[in-house]
Amino acid sequence: MKDKLKKLNDFEWLLPKDVRKEMRVDAKIFGNDLVLEALEGDAIAQLTNVACLPGVIEPVVGLPDMHYGYGLPMGAVSAFDAEKGIISAGLCGFDINCGINSIKTNLTADEVKEKMDELIPALFNAIPCGVGAKGKLKLTEEQLEEVLVRGVNWAVENGYGVKEDIPRIEENGCMEGADPSKISDLAKKRGRPQLGTLGAGNHFLEIQKVSDVLDKETAKEWGIDKKDQVMIMLHCGSRGFGHQVATDYLKQQEKAAEKYKIWLPDRQLVCAPANSQEGKDFFAAMKCAVNYSFTNRLVMTHWIREVFEKVFGRSWQEMGMDTLYGLCHNVVKLEEHVVNGEKKKVFVHRKGATRSFEGDVVLVAGSMGTASYIAKGMESSMGKSFGSACHGAGRIMSRASAIRSFRGTEVKDELRQMGIIAKATNPKVLAEESPDAYKDIEAVMDSIEGAEIAKKVVRVVPMGVVKG
Amino acid sequence: MKYKFIDEITSDVMFEAYGKTLKEIFENAAEALFTVICHDVEGEEVREVKVKGENIEDLMFNWLQELIAAVDIEEMFFGKFEILKISETELEAKIYGEPVSREKGETVVKSLTYHQYKFEKTENGFVARISCDI
Repeated sequence: MKDKLKKLNDFEWLLPKDVRKEMRVDAKIFGNDLVLEALEGDAIAQLTNVACLPGVIEPVVGLPDMHYGYGLPMGAVSAFDAEKGIISAGLCGFDINCGINSIKTNLTADEVKEKMDELIPALFNAIPCGVGAKGKLKLTEEQLEEVLVRGVNWAVENGYGVKEDIPRIEENGCMEGADPSKISDLAKKRGRPQLGTLGAGNHFLEIQKVSDVLDKETAKEWGIDKKDQVMIMLHCGSRGFGHQVATDYLKQQEKAAEKYKIWLPDRQLVCAPANSQEGKDFFAAMKCAVNYSFTNRLVMTHWIREVFEKVFGRSWQEMGMDTLYGLCHNVVKLEEHVVNGEKKKVFVHRKGATRSFEGDVVLVAGSMGTASYIAKGMESSMGKSFGSACHGAGRIMSRASAIRSFRGTEVKDELRQMGIIAKATNPKVLAEESPDAYKDIEAVMDSIEGAEIAKKVVRVVPMGVVKG
Repeated sequence: MKYKFIDEITSDVMFEAYGKTLKEIFENAAEALFTVICHDVEGEEVREVKVKGENIEDLMFNWLQELIAAVDIEEMFFGKFEILKISETELEAKIYGEPVSREKGETVVKSLTYHQYKFEKTENGFVARISCDI
């Protein structure tokens, strides 16, 4: 399928709709030559699946971190007409609002380095992580409902985070229109014990330092303009609650697709007409999971602040530990975009992608031993990628082959030699997440900037990482 | 062979489970799933589960999904699975395990997916292909 791509310029590739008869629109992939070289042919073929769905708007977008997934690639964006199109649980993904919060500090790398051997274990103990950790909060049914409807507002009222955090989170940490009556009892049961837990796999808490300030003006405006300034990045999602919501609607939308006679190019791409009851129910339920996840990250932000207070003997306010930004990776949003010269309401499905509207903070997580980036959304991304940028480096090796190729303990030693302290519940997760299992973040970010989707502001490198 | 892992999806996990009988394949699929979630689990505590499905393929999906949810709700790891009764649309089972612990945890399975999902009758019994989002 790779040979079907037509080069438009150094960073954009067209996959014309005539490569497959069922495709309704073209697809477009963003990436430089290095990114294209690492791109799997099967992932490109999966992009064509999305282009076959009803009401899809040109183009289906593949971002530079795109890799083979189930049904569609991770790192894909697609938009559907809000009237005539579909909304899809499959295109949203199981970890609804898996995302990143970035927290600033005014500490220097030297100050933190001294305390690293104390800090990382303290964080590891304060943040329940891994499949084997029990949550610290057990919400009542009423509390859970409040979280689902009011998102981070619940957290702040209950002492987790402060009101200044709220406007620094996408959607102000709460999507309007979440309806808990659309949530199964099973999802609620799974959600109650898990608020304030990190999860496992590629979820992490990382202590970073600024290695390069690339856009001085913006960096200053955002308060992250000093080299060696320490930052914190928290990556996690909506836990068992969101997974169950996604699974419930996967099953429901399989039936809906049959009922409305929607042909599915892959069974995982179940969907319902956006304006059908099934479609509306999914959107209202998905918003509950989005709000749960925003709250999850803010609760953990509070505990991170507490750990820093204990380790450094100062208040978190003194250490300037404000939220820089919090954003979603897996989400469906009703947004207005210009389609064929006219403003139109569309359901944008971001699967492993971040929003990058003009001025948005775009947080891109690198792999465990490599750099991450804080970038700024550009106006031109609206017309190119429905205002979306990449979310990470993107895997090039399966978890299974990473485990076969690397040993967790060796990865840990290598990281230590690089000055990075890693602590995980299981050494295998370090092998799975080995930096060599991922694409080169520099090539990914060069592509995003070259394609004028988002501009690099600050590059950060890891100092320590906690993994589930 | 009870099950085999297949290196197919860049980010996730896929396996095939086998069984001469429905009872066997359902037990083997559960065992395969829990090698992804945890290790060396003792079966001291027991839970009973009843699962329904619209057909045998749906029953397998719901069975494994029920077990994934049970890890969160019961805060337990499971290591032994005993199907007591099974039809094309219903099953009853005893599942044996112990409270979750960081030491015995492997990773979170978020969900099963429909990606290349199949449940087939073969000459020797049954085969199921299952991919998990982790």
